[in-house]
Amino acid sequence: MEGEADGSDSAADVSALGKKHLAMLERLSNRHQSRPDKSGSPPPAASFESTSSFLSLFNESRMSIESRLAQCRLADRSLLQLNFDEISASIANLEKLVAESSYYLPPYEVRSSLKTISDLKQALDNLSSELIPKKKFSFKNKPARKEPTAPSSKGAEADGHGSRPAAKAGSLAVAVPDSPGFRNRANEVLAKDVRGLEVGEFTLSDLESCEVRLIGCTRALFVHRLRNCRVYAGPVTGSVLIEEAEDCVFLLASHQIRIHNAKASDFYLRVRSRPIIEDCTGARFAPYRLNYRGIEQDLEDAALGEETGNWSKVDDFKWLRAAQSPNWSVLPENERIGTVDISELSA
Amino acid sequence: MGLLSIIRKIKRKEKEMRILMVGLDNSGKTTIVLKINGEDTSVISPTLGFNIKTITYQKYVQLMFCGRYTLNIWDVGGQKTIRSYWRNYFEQTDGLIWVVDSSDLRRLDDCKMELDNLLKEERLSGASLLIFANKQDIKGALTPAEIAKVLNLEAMDKTRHWKIVGCSAYTGEGLLEGFDWLVQDIASRIYMLE
Ligand SMILES: Nc1nc2c(ncn2[C@@H]2O[C@H](COP(=O)(O)OP(=O)(O)OP(=O)(O)O)[C@@H](O)[C@H]2O)c(=O)[nH]1
Ligand SMILES: [Mg+2]
Repeated sequence: MEGEADGSDSAADVSALGKKHLAMLERLSNRHQSRPDKSGSPPPAASFESTSSFLSLFNESRMSIESRLAQCRLADRSLLQLNFDEISASIANLEKLVAESSYYLPPYEVRSSLKTISDLKQALDNLSSELIPKKKFSFKNKPARKEPTAPSSKGAEADGHGSRPAAKAGSLAVAVPDSPGFRNRANEVLAKDVRGLEVGEFTLSDLESCEVRLIGCTRALFVHRLRNCRVYAGPVTGSVLIEEAEDCVFLLASHQIRIHNAKASDFYLRVRSRPIIEDCTGARFAPYRLNYRGIEQDLEDAALGEETGNWSKVDDFKWLRAAQSPNWSVLPENERIGTVDISELSA
Repeated sequence: MGLLSIIRKIKRKEKEMRILMVGLDNSGKTTIVLKINGEDTSVISPTLGFNIKTITYQKYVQLMFCGRYTLNIWDVGGQKTIRSYWRNYFEQTDGLIWVVDSSDLRRLDDCKMELDNLLKEERLSGASLLIFANKQDIKGALTPAEIAKVLNLEAMDKTRHWKIVGCSAYTGEGLLEGFDWLVQDIASRIYMLE
């Protein structure tokens, strides 16, 4: 079933992915071809060699769907349901096309296509509940979710014992042991060498005006509510998750970095995938600048030995346009700090 | 409803299953899908929209071949901004996989809330539910039993078919067990009723 796909150089994918990917595209294109389409059958998906050919097909289908939507208003009532079903199937096809193409499309195109599809579904939904008021299954989901709970103020939970934050929430039904980390501290230098210890995840939370020095590898790093702190950390083999940081400086090396709700903070990163930000302002990025005795080996062991250049390829989830997001920038070279050496752990 | 039943029929013939995979961001959804498909998992960016993977899944019981299914797995990004898109993928879902980062204790509340909301969805009411308590390889991760307790799974609607399985997308442990159950459960609902 595999291996017969014609390898006509689809642009983006090389590597082991290529073959499976092509086979999948071929299956998809077969499905597309077997579907009657007013605008003639589209070129098979596997022949897309560029974003622009994807876009032209995408836009063509979008326009066809939009005009069919518009025509519904004039259509015979008895045919309405049929029309809606057809349009719904076309939208589903378009959606599949985007999903398959998302392997090589630039992030911006994926997201704007996604938004278009969502809008089309909404339009169909509105139209069908307007024209067929008693429709059996309308998409009646109003956002049932409430606003995420606002972060409780720091004083309210200054139990100072470094128990896990989740346990404080009261809703956790199980007792959990302390995990490694620093919590509820101010104006201190917090240092830890985790080499030789079997540390999994490490947590930094509720710190104010602290300097954190973390030597050695961890698997996951959670950072929550930091103000005016400097965080110098060795490699993380999984992901770093930062939520709520203000006026901070981070030196981090990791496979993945996710930053939520950060303000006016600088990130010196080495990262294997693209760093992402969500709900951030004034985030600035530069390459990783940390040193301690043995860091080369640690980076090597964590598959972070090489600079990837990803530190500047930031994706902003809150920015849907192709233009540069106003929420982050590259830190100008003359404002960057020099290499930080934390070989002497304590200050 | 005519079209829907036709689609059902076609699906039965091809033995296709539509599986929706969701959960908070950073829980490991994309890593799980790539791992189960035998692909490289060393460079994965957070999912900006969604991915779809088509996987052929063969089921053996005691070395006896007993079925071949095509799984269409929809892996949808879990970042807050795009959670509102989840609902675009509910239609015709046969199986739902909810992935939990068992080491992220602070966000278990969020995780529970989002799952509860999802399970209220009428369009998902017939779907089998597999919960992956992922990242079991991380020291300090909660066990599947603990996760089940936190998420209060026992209180779930009695008509729902569900199971929680501990796994690690890192080592691969638990993944097949989870998928085996899911495929088996869906198959017994959809295909064996004919
Ligand atoms: N240690 C460990 N790390 C894991 C495991 N599964 C995933 N990870 C790491 O967790 C991070 C997040 O994984 P992803 O697969 O991108 O998570 P996701 O759920 O797809 O996230 P979104 O696309 O944002 O919704 C990555 O850095 C993975 O390497 C696991 O079982 N163990
Ligand atoms: Mg993902």
